Amino acid sequence: MEMNGSQRIEAPREVVYAALNNDDVLRKCIPGCESIEKVSETEMNAKVTLRVGPVKAKFDGKVTLSDLDPPNGYTISGEGSGGMVGFAKGGAKVDLVPDGEATILNYTVAAEIGGKIAQLGSRLIDGTAKKLAGEFFSRFSEIVGPQPQPVDLPTEDANAGKGWFGRLRSSS
Amino acid sequence: MNDQTKIDQDRAERTEKLQGMGCKRKRVEDIRFTQGKGSYVDDLKLPGMLFGDFVRSPHAHARIKSIDTSRAKALPGVVAVLTAADLKPLGLHYMPTLAGDVQAVLAEEKVLFQNQEVAFVIAEDRYIASDATELVDVDYEALPCIVDPFRSMDEDAPILREDIQDKMEGAHGPRKHPNHIFEWQIGDKDATDKVFAEADVTIKEMLVDHRTHPSPLETCQSVASFDKVKGELTLWGTFQAPHVIRTVVSLISGLPEHKIHVIAPDIGGGFGNKVGAYAGYVCSVVGSIVLGVPVKWVEDRMENLSTTSFARDYHMTTELAATKDGKIQGMRVHVLADHGAFDACADPSKWPAGFMNICTGSYDIPTAHLVVDGVYTNKASGGVAYRCSFRVTEAVFAIERAVELLAEKLGMDAAELRIKNFIKPEQFPYKSALGWEYDSGDYHTAMKKAMDTVGYKELRAEQAKKREAFKRGETREIMGIGISFFTEIVGAGPSKNCDILGVAMFDSAEIRIHPTGSVIARMGTKSQGQGHETTYAQIIATEIGIPADDIMIEEGNTDTAPYGLGTYGSRSTPVAGAATAVSARKIKAKAQMIAAHMLEVHEGDLEWDVDRFRVKGLPEKFKTMKEIAWASYNAPPPNMEPGLEAVNYYEPPNMTYPFGAYFCVMDIDVDTGVAKTRRFYALDDCGTRINPMVIEGQVHGGLTEAFACAMGQEIRYDEHGNVMGASFMDFFLPTAVETPHWETDHTVTPSPHHPIGAKGVGESPHVGGVPCFSNAVNDAYAFLGAGHIQMPHDAWRLWQVGEKLGLHA
Repeated sequence: MEMNGSQRIEAPREVVYAALNNDDVLRKCIPGCESIEKVSETEMNAKVTLRVGPVKAKFDGKVTLSDLDPPNGYTISGEGSGGMVGFAKGGAKVDLVPDGEATILNYTVAAEIGGKIAQLGSRLIDGTAKKLAGEFFSRFSEIVGPQPQPVDLPTEDANAGKGWFGRLRSSS
Repeated sequence: MNDQTKIDQDRAERTEKLQGMGCKRKRVEDIRFTQGKGSYVDDLKLPGMLFGDFVRSPHAHARIKSIDTSRAKALPGVVAVLTAADLKPLGLHYMPTLAGDVQAVLAEEKVLFQNQEVAFVIAEDRYIASDATELVDVDYEALPCIVDPFRSMDEDAPILREDIQDKMEGAHGPRKHPNHIFEWQIGDKDATDKVFAEADVTIKEMLVDHRTHPSPLETCQSVASFDKVKGELTLWGTFQAPHVIRTVVSLISGLPEHKIHVIAPDIGGGFGNKVGAYAGYVCSVVGSIVLGVPVKWVEDRMENLSTTSFARDYHMTTELAATKDGKIQGMRVHVLADHGAFDACADPSKWPAGFMNICTGSYDIPTAHLVVDGVYTNKASGGVAYRCSFRVTEAVFAIERAVELLAEKLGMDAAELRIKNFIKPEQFPYKSALGWEYDSGDYHTAMKKAMDTVGYKELRAEQAKKREAFKRGETREIMGIGISFFTEIVGAGPSKNCDILGVAMFDSAEIRIHPTGSVIARMGTKSQGQGHETTYAQIIATEIGIPADDIMIEEGNTDTAPYGLGTYGSRSTPVAGAATAVSARKIKAKAQMIAAHMLEVHEGDLEWDVDRFRVKGLPEKFKTMKEIAWASYNAPPPNMEPGLEAVNYYEPPNMTYPFGAYFCVMDIDVDTGVAKTRRFYALDDCGTRINPMVIEGQVHGGLTEAFACAMGQEIRYDEHGNVMGASFMDFFLPTAVETPHWETDHTVTPSPHHPIGAKGVGESPHVGGVPCFSNAVNDAYAFLGAGHIQMPHDAWRLWQVGEKLGLHA
């Protein structure tokens, strides 16, 4: 699965880059992240709980930072196993482009999943991945810059989040 | 009313009371099924019973670096966790397959398909067992996997089966590559090549009969209970062939066969899924032997769809050679068979590709050559006959699609081309180019009746008009007419060519008449919904004149039932049905001797009259079977042993060859790809018809499963070996909403070698139905130059066809 997007962050590039390297910031931004433990400057161990459709899994994984090019960007990759439920590995290439006082963050994600999540969740994976990426960057923007302002984030249906009943009502 | 009329009327009344062959007797088993009173494996609750569940691999191909069961064992309620390391000392980490290969019970060094069994957790209840599977820590090293069977024999392909890596002589001859299983050839290659080289017209197409699954509503399950004191094992399970399971359990466990009691209770559908032996059976047995208490194993839906016995996955390069005027001269087929990680096909042992050599179909094709290559891939094993005799759906799909492609190339009508090439009634028994001897058939009559009933000419005229209208842009709907004229080969089989692991494929019936004239009959087969309790009783009723309602049919308990090879491949009526008739005739012969003694006449002076023997010329002097039954125990003739029972082990002299003519009319919206079946007509000829209502039910079920396979059902894998069709969210199981209306019809051409002339029928509609649907879809798009469209034909794929043809502009 591949996915890309952009996010405008109201902070200078250096601040954004530093935050992207801060394990505490990452812990707060990664959806479902329970803990991140820094092993070295570029390696971390993470525990993440992920829910795809009906399957919920706790992933034990490694996060690695590579292609470090401050303050232009880096590649963040992760690999985790949720036991029988499955496994996931993937990476995101992040490019930071200055835009006046702010920064445009471009990302390209490639991910591979296996096991029960892939079987049961196949038709839910893409949507879930977009949602998770969206959550990550909106939290990141909140922490790093004052006002989040999505540029090209995959937008969901205006009724999303209202639930089945809510959607029914709002369309009437 | 004259005397003769009176006699006829009396005879008709007595015949009706019997509810014998030919009558629409209501299914006796439905009394309990419709009240929810059936008794299935999962209904069994034994004191102290534990529950097992599998730890399964998330990877398609990986090396197991370590397995740590300590966290699982620490969970309260968990009693034991089995791994390959526990089974290895017992020699049970691998088990033999029906195809001469071995299959991992629990993975030892590597896992070879996603969801493969790695460990078996046994706990006090099913929920704890399931929770504990998540606490077994398995460290995997992922390996590159093979999903596309066409890459299996690449030079740089990863070697899947390291356990047999150096064994280049397989169960069916030499292997060409470590991932190759067998090459099976039949027919005259040189003669066939020559026919093709000289032919006026040839066609060649890759026809894929995709991977799917029998998906019975009740999944596979077992309960094992080992009595340590007696040293006896009782195994209840979803077994289509309980006796074979007992023999296999005896061979692999070392327990003597008489100390193993295998019981198959009510079974909720099999369709081939419940023929093989599975890891769950073995693990429940081992668990019970080790722990001394009963252990139950019940598959969930994902496990069923993704691990126990898929069907099909045949990639058939099919060629026909013909004269300009449409006489087929030769057929050449190469099959690449994807068998998954282990060769666990359930075929008679000498037939690695089943009866694929029935692929010349209903046609007099003088020359043919067939090659089948079986290969390993990182997918679940199986290759069972899903509602068909062994690989017969594949064979019929190949010939019935190929004939359509040839008709298209010749510019000939597809029905006319078939009729031109049919085996003629006078050619039976007909020896086919690939070795079978067809017992009987009258294809021309069946085809004519079908064409007249559906109004074939009018349909073609309507189609021509619709096509013109489509071209003019007046409609977005296209019309397809699907034809299939199939010949099945069922009732395995004669011992000269059919055995399973050396056990000849006879079947059996043991009939015992009680003194009061009621009957118990025990069979070597096992119903999974076919209605055996109803139909076997009808055969006996007609043969010995005792009402079917007074006859109890019992199957599935190896302690009481005579040895038989079970129910699959439509073999129950052709083999055990024959045994029933022969056994009944033995009883009738003894009854005649008893009646002669009672009436003080010579046996030859008696004649049979529905339910009694009477003295020829003296109709008022007779003895009914009921009277004879009493006498057989209490006043037999001098020197005759008392009692009235008989057993027959029937070795069929040949298979039976049911056939049929199917027509499907379909309308497809090219913009949405939604296909609507407007009409489906199925004419079946299964020889003598025992119960027309049961036959109709069988035909409805088989057609529905054919519809499923052709129109959407599929077990698909992504490039990483993730199985994508393993839940009913993705796997198409038609309900009453999607299922078309079925019209059924018949002709009757009895089998000359079967005691009552009957052939199998339960699988014909599936075998004939799949190509009929696919031909309808292909026929609809043919005038747009679509070429062969592969199954399954769901709306998404048909929409893609329209997209490729530029119809959506």
